[in-house]
Amino acid sequence: MTGGRVPTVRHKAEATSHHHQPGISFRPTRKSDFADTVQQQVKHRRRQPASMNGVCNQSMVTGVTDFQRFNGFAEHPAESKKAMGQRALDTSRKESEDESKLPALEAAYVTILRGLGENTDRQGLLKTPLRAAKAMQFLTKGYHETVYDILNDAIFDENHEEMVIVKDIDMFSLCEHHLVPFFGKVHIGYIPSKKVVGLSKLARVVEIYSRRLQVQERLTKQIAMAISEALQPIGVAVVIEAAHMCMVMRGVQKMNSRTVTSAMLGMFRDDPKTREEFLALTKNK
Amino acid sequence: SESVPSEDHLRTRRSVKKSALQDLQDHQEQSRKLSEDESNLPALQAAYRTILRGLGEDTERQGLARTPLRAARAMQFLTKGYHESVFDTLNDAIFDEDHDEMVIVKDTDMFSLCEHHLVPFYGKVHIGYLPRKKVVGLSKLARIVEIYSRRLQVQERLSKQIAVAIFEALQPEGVAVVIEATHMCMVMRGVQKINSRTVTSTMLGVFREDPKTREEFLSLIKSS
Repeated sequence: MTGGRVPTVRHKAEATSHHHQPGISFRPTRKSDFADTVQQQVKHRRRQPASMNGVCNQSMVTGVTDFQRFNGFAEHPAESKKAMGQRALDTSRKESEDESKLPALEAAYVTILRGLGENTDRQGLLKTPLRAAKAMQFLTKGYHETVYDILNDAIFDENHEEMVIVKDIDMFSLCEHHLVPFFGKVHIGYIPSKKVVGLSKLARVVEIYSRRLQVQERLTKQIAMAISEALQPIGVAVVIEAAHMCMVMRGVQKMNSRTVTSAMLGMFRDDPKTREEFLALTKNK
Repeated sequence: SESVPSEDHLRTRRSVKKSALQDLQDHQEQSRKLSEDESNLPALQAAYRTILRGLGEDTERQGLARTPLRAARAMQFLTKGYHESVFDTLNDAIFDEDHDEMVIVKDTDMFSLCEHHLVPFYGKVHIGYLPRKKVVGLSKLARIVEIYSRRLQVQERLSKQIAVAIFEALQPEGVAVVIEATHMCMVMRGVQKINSRTVTSTMLGVFREDPKTREEFLSLIKSS
């Protein structure tokens, strides 16, 4: 993806020169207290105009190697880049405002139904604008959830450095180009570095990012970035296999086609054996 | 409730009191002209833009810039059944054939929109009929499914409309339609039951009256 607003704010830590060193698996050099950095980043949080593409346009490699230098959320440049578009969208919609937005959405749906040639007064369609508006709000409820709120309590110190995989998480999202659903399964694996997370929280992270208008590539990356930022693990891997209704119900109409995207961070990217182990363990027999 | 149409009834539709289903069918068939679709687009686009903003999205960003147009076109495609009529589709492909054994077209993929939430539901349609001297081109059965499914539908009504359309066109001994579908409105939202399927069926004529015939149809459509 190209375009979108290029972030002009640079974090102060980036002003010092660092050389990108490929091949080093990222691992925090100092333990940092998660709770403290949350306080810090709450203070440093900046409101930026929404520019989701900014997150994806930055080179992922920078994000990976920067992890070696920075600790905690507030200092991480991906975090500040995330602030550009991500945080604006993380809470771009307040749950309390949903009720008040319904009339406008309902009117829009009445226009759509009439424009499609239907009779909006017949019994089956009388309350459809309201139901469709509420359904749409539910399917995009990820806009008023943030990862920080969900993950804060469930990160535990555990002396475990083996791969942890949660696979076959059902995912339902909306294609941002046609507003038609796409759905499939998400497989998440990570190698903790002294911090493990509650397993259902991985599924909740999937929920937050999938219940939005999404592109499958971006969804994969956002899930991976969220987990790597929260836990600072040795590596994160996310694989999504989905069927896109925009391809199945319309357009080319290929029923059995599936789209697979993946995001490999840290050791999963650097070490082919680790990646292979993850892929072998998530293969569906 | 819907009674089985008799032959005389079918030949003189105008003289018969219309049932609620026929009323709906007549209104919906060709309630939208294909030529008007282009001119309806701006209103649909504006509506979609309102929806995107109301959901808290930024309509100026690159991914969403042309989404109102694409979504409006997609919705028009998914409801294109409104400008198709069964008679136009079927008229040419009915043949006189001395065949009075069951004919089944099964596992026809079907994609429709739930009229209550405007969320897709999809599944398979199995159609069987016992011809009475008239058979129909097999793909026409699938086309009938397309006409009625590409609308805002309720699964019960969809199966009945397909069955009644075939019954009226061919006047066979009997028609059976079974639809098994997954409703995204139940899977993606609401109760969120992922593996649940809804099965509806419509049996007309000899399929309704004779249990053996019905049994034969049901066992033949069972997946092996």
